[in-house]
Amino acid sequence: MTSITNIKRLFAASLAAVAVSSCDTEVVNPGPIDSSFLDDPASQLAIANGAGRALADALNWISYTSAAIAREVHPSGSTGSFGISPNQQDGRLEEDEVGAHWSFSHRARFLATNGLERIDGLDPADQDQEQLAQLYLWAGFTHRLLGESMCQAVIDGGAQQSHRVHLNDALAAFNQAASFGDSEVQNAAIAGRASVHVQLGDWDSAVADAARIQPGMSFVMPYFSIGDDAQANRIHRASRAQPYKAHTTRFTWVEGYGQEPTGSPYGDPRIPYVVTGTYGDAATGCCGSVDFNPQQKHGDDDSPIELASYEEMQLIIAEDLILHRNDIQGGMAIINSLRTAAGMNAESAGTLTDAMTFLKREHAIEMWLEGRRLAALRRWNATQTPGDLHPLEQVGDGNNTTGSHLETRDFCFPISEAEWDTNPNLTR
Amino acid sequence: MKPPVRPASASPIFGLATALVLLLAQPAVSQTGSVTGRITDAASGAALTQVQTYLEGTGLGTLSRTDGRFVILNVPTGDYVLLAERIGYAGYRSEITITDGVTVELDFVMVSEALGLDEIVVTGTAGAARRREIGNTIAQVTTADVLESPQNVDALLQGRVAGMQVFTASGNAGSGARIRLRGNVSVAMSNQPIIYVDGVRIRSDGFHKNVPPTGYPGRSGNDVSSPLNSINPSDIERIEVIKGAAATTLYGTEAAAGVIQIFTKRGHRGGAQWTVSVEQGVARLQPFGFPSSERPSWEDATSAAGGTSDFMFIDPWLRNAHQQRYAVSVGGGGESLQYFVSGALEDDLGVLPNDSQRKSNIRGNFTFSPATNLQVQWNTSFTNDQFSNTAAGNNAHGLTLNVYRRSRNYFGNEEKENLDKLLGQEITTQVDHFITGGTATYSPTSNFSNRLSVGYDLAQQNNRNLRPFGFVRAPTGILADNRSEFETLTFDYVGTLSFDLTDAVGSALSFGGQSVTSEVSQTVAYGENFPGPGSPTVTTAGTKLGFEVRERVVNAGFFAQNVFDYRDRYFLTAGMRVDGNSAFGRDFGLQAYPKVSGSWVVSDEEFWSFDGQLKLRAAWGQSGRAPGAFDAVQTYDGVGWGTQPAFYPRVLGNAELGPERTAELEVGFDATLFSDRLALELTYYDQHTTDALFAVRQIPSLGFIDSNGGSSQLENVGEIFNSGIEAVVYGTLFENEAWSFDLGATAYTNSSSAGLPEAFAPIAVGGNGWVVDSLPAPIIRGECVENPDEIAEPIIVDDCDYGPNAPTHIFGINTNISMPGGLRFSARGEYQGGHYVTAGVANSAVSRSVIWAGCYDAYSKLSSFEDIANGNLSNWTALERARCDRRNTDSNFWAEKADFFKIREVALMVPVPESLLGDAASSASITVSGRNIFRWTNPDWTHFDPEMGGNNDNNPVTRDGADPGDFLVASISEHIPAPAVWTVALRMVF
Repeated sequence: MTSITNIKRLFAASLAAVAVSSCDTEVVNPGPIDSSFLDDPASQLAIANGAGRALADALNWISYTSAAIAREVHPSGSTGSFGISPNQQDGRLEEDEVGAHWSFSHRARFLATNGLERIDGLDPADQDQEQLAQLYLWAGFTHRLLGESMCQAVIDGGAQQSHRVHLNDALAAFNQAASFGDSEVQNAAIAGRASVHVQLGDWDSAVADAARIQPGMSFVMPYFSIGDDAQANRIHRASRAQPYKAHTTRFTWVEGYGQEPTGSPYGDPRIPYVVTGTYGDAATGCCGSVDFNPQQKHGDDDSPIELASYEEMQLIIAEDLILHRNDIQGGMAIINSLRTAAGMNAESAGTLTDAMTFLKREHAIEMWLEGRRLAALRRWNATQTPGDLHPLEQVGDGNNTTGSHLETRDFCFPISEAEWDTNPNLTR
Repeated sequence: MKPPVRPASASPIFGLATALVLLLAQPAVSQTGSVTGRITDAASGAALTQVQTYLEGTGLGTLSRTDGRFVILNVPTGDYVLLAERIGYAGYRSEITITDGVTVELDFVMVSEALGLDEIVVTGTAGAARRREIGNTIAQVTTADVLESPQNVDALLQGRVAGMQVFTASGNAGSGARIRLRGNVSVAMSNQPIIYVDGVRIRSDGFHKNVPPTGYPGRSGNDVSSPLNSINPSDIERIEVIKGAAATTLYGTEAAAGVIQIFTKRGHRGGAQWTVSVEQGVARLQPFGFPSSERPSWEDATSAAGGTSDFMFIDPWLRNAHQQRYAVSVGGGGESLQYFVSGALEDDLGVLPNDSQRKSNIRGNFTFSPATNLQVQWNTSFTNDQFSNTAAGNNAHGLTLNVYRRSRNYFGNEEKENLDKLLGQEITTQVDHFITGGTATYSPTSNFSNRLSVGYDLAQQNNRNLRPFGFVRAPTGILADNRSEFETLTFDYVGTLSFDLTDAVGSALSFGGQSVTSEVSQTVAYGENFPGPGSPTVTTAGTKLGFEVRERVVNAGFFAQNVFDYRDRYFLTAGMRVDGNSAFGRDFGLQAYPKVSGSWVVSDEEFWSFDGQLKLRAAWGQSGRAPGAFDAVQTYDGVGWGTQPAFYPRVLGNAELGPERTAELEVGFDATLFSDRLALELTYYDQHTTDALFAVRQIPSLGFIDSNGGSSQLENVGEIFNSGIEAVVYGTLFENEAWSFDLGATAYTNSSSAGLPEAFAPIAVGGNGWVVDSLPAPIIRGECVENPDEIAEPIIVDDCDYGPNAPTHIFGINTNISMPGGLRFSARGEYQGGHYVTAGVANSAVSRSVIWAGCYDAYSKLSSFEDIANGNLSNWTALERARCDRRNTDSNFWAEKADFFKIREVALMVPVPESLLGDAASSASITVSGRNIFRWTNPDWTHFDPEMGGNNDNNPVTRDGADPGDFLVASISEHIPAPAVWTVALRMVF
């Protein structure tokens, strides 16, 4: 009988436990970080890094896809993961295929601007000047990426505007970054600002900034080999044959260029590639199976992508000399100084067109696979700048063995389909 | 290479089960008389097995055997009441007298209760209720009616319940099915019904996919296993299924998608009855590609590896897979304690080279009655499930993708020796699943009962995914070791106070509370770059990463309900459940879900003069589905950048986020005709989900993009409508003393649509599926060819609506035939139709210029494959040009009408003659069965199995790079379909 009584007591106790547990649904789960925690001064480092990583993500996608459109690489079959879509193989950037490029770029912009607002809201004594400077720098390069790459600007769900809005935002951010004492940040900001001035057509300001940059200056976006695809260099990932062999230097101007000094397979150390004797992932529409001769500039997952450099600044000065100051020899001297520094022979040009042809080629070499070529082509196309591109960089030659296989070429990334679908302020 | 499977842990479990069984088997006590007899169906004369036969008040009893015979030995002399009970039959009662040394012979018949109006059902009721009281339909699967239990619960349920779809996603070992009841009630949250086992809530969504935590989320077999399949089908007595909000109100916030409740076997009164079964079988894949006999003249009959288009060229890697199962159980007990103890071992090979599964489980169910007004039921089971998979799915490191893509694969050739290298990846999973729970029922007075249930469900999963040093696609090796733990703790109380308001009017007031706490924790160790060959651990890797996820959700609520009855034939039920949930937004309060239902047993009326029974019923009720644990609060992720900390957006947050609420009206009747020889059940349902959680796409330029690239936020903005009819007919067409022929059929229709606010754009949910206002949810939508049959260039039109992705009508047919000598035959088939499924696998191949078997019809019009590249397509239709020309192809063009019919099961049971058994056993039978043995698809369907729609991963907390709502859509990727399985089973009762 006692045991029965105990069971009944247990029953009653359990009942009470049910009643108590049923009243409490409050749960705190670990992991996700409440938005308000980002307003803590201790969060400044992670805020700046978040903006940096977001820019790295955006640059990763834009540099790869734009490389295919600019024919810095040629597609070699894969269309899915790390692939180049059939439209992109033909030179088209379609609204429904640029979602990642668009959204990742705007994530970078949001994290930079939101981060600056949060740090701005801190007590000045708590502001980390190093992170603030870095955040301004990331903001500048993010706005530049958007201004150079996107056909139009859309800010926070507003109406579409000229892409120059992003470029002006970039100038403002670079101006702020350049005001900090850190010389590395200052130089990067000044170089970034110079390139933005070029895009805005303000050559005097561009040259003034470019001239302040000393030899050896290079500011890069880091990537990482830590087992995380998203943090690895995407151009490398797509060509490292594990398993993707999505692009090749076959059918590009890179192939066969500059063999003079060393014979084969290439002579210019700035555009390294390798001949594997194998084919790419799959057949392409233009040319069936394509020889897989992958680039070697980004030779590993953690290969960085250059954001600004002394060489780019020199090319700005050279272009200004050739185009605006009729100083062809002055411009060629700068070009040749870059070439000889790389171990290549000097070139000579007697006309503006020849000089600009050399300059465009040198630009292609120096800034190969850095996500900048398409923007340069856009700029030169818009101003009908003299100077020829290499035939394999041009649209129109559909020859199955020698052509670029570009049916057309879009010069910028359109507003994404998702933005059109969701943003009520856009108008066609 | 076959990955190692750890066999060591299986044997001890099986040994433990045997030991438990031996321990609990009570030796019979010598008595002075006995009773024996044979129980048959009153209508057909067929032997009735699993009838619980006992002498009232003695604890003496037994279960009838396959041949319907029963024996109760050692009965003290005296007068007794013999009772016999079986689900679906009216109870039998007979007074008998036992005299010393005499065996009483008592053959009797039991009358089938086609409607079972006085049968007790539990699911969806407050405590328990007779069927006559309930206003909604409750489907019931009784295993006594199944000739031989299939391998898992998925297979047991498939095609047996009107309104239930059980998608067998793939032919991979350990694959779990997606289950849908009356379509999709949510487009953002899980549509898997919640599952109870003997009153214990268990996890219902799939276990975690075995995939590394970083890198492409498809380096895997790309499949998930189901907690439902931890239950040994042989242990199940019955399964109750309630399908919608009209019936699930008392389960509250998480039950909108329905409830499946499994009841396992209990011990019976009487001496120990042992059952031993041995089953041997083979699984074999049927052709699922395009007939090689219809290949173009310029195409070789086989690939370099020897594959044919009949199997999409994977035949050299397929095998006839041996499968075996062994099970033993014992049940028995006395008046105050009954027990059922079982153990089972399953050891299967899969049809793919690395696929295998070894599953063992034990169970102990105990019923204890310490007092006349108190009963305690305690059930416990443990399952150890180990399986290994071949890398498959949309996975460049996988066998299936590289075989299907032929020479355009990631090797550039079809050589078997190259593709064999992919088998070096080891994908092994172990799930230890422990379910325990007790229910105490205490009735201090005859009109007041209390039921308290406490349950604990613990599943521990270890996923190990190794690409060893030297693996062709990761030369320095990659290893992920993933430990997940899934816990569900249930407290449930219900009290019922019954009293008569008048002589004719009765009332039963029920009230109670329930708390369900679900916790998922996941820790993953990841390493890559190993120093050399050997068997690595993460510790030995050059690069090591760690990942952790912890998520806890509490749902708790109270309810009250009253059932009024008038003269036991009119019933009116009204009730309310009030819930709180930890996932609700901070500004969101408690949620109330009302219900009301009624039933009228017309055939109990005095005016009823027909030869049969009729019950009319109607029910209306609400239930809900909560958002995810983190969906309400704006949060950021710590994502890291190199070795530095970094913030990324995670969830935008919505302080007003609450559950979606589904209201359902159900109206129908249950009837029998012709002396109960024909039973008919007809139900109309109409569901309306309001405040539906939609993953609303945010404007990308706002920049709140998560680390997977997603930018959606759950919002209670939508509506979902589902309506349709369910019908069940079962009848005895012919019967005499030797033969009976039963035939049954089920029908189910579903018409669904979504309601989307005008301001919201259509929502993509993957696999070419969209949620679009006023159209089925989800609908297959995209580009289509306006002039498909014209010999011309395709005219491509945007935003075509192909049709719903979920079947709009399902018809089932089943038959049972009893033959002379106790032979029994059963068969079941199922047709599903009205839906569209996209074969993305075809688009992925054609876009890479693969010579694709799905294009053989078009290729036959060409003189060579090069004609495509050269544009010599003058004989091709516009649709052929859209699908099979690399320059045009798109997954949309591979959306096809997916109607199919399958024979789900055929079985023939042959009793072993007693003369052969001697004293070895009291009865035995041999059952030959085949499952999934025939498939018909509509003529427009090109290749693959329409049902292999994938079950890639629908776990909200696992990394899958998906927004909520993804994987709502069934679409075909690089998988194989479920194989046909033939088995022979010997079952012996002692």
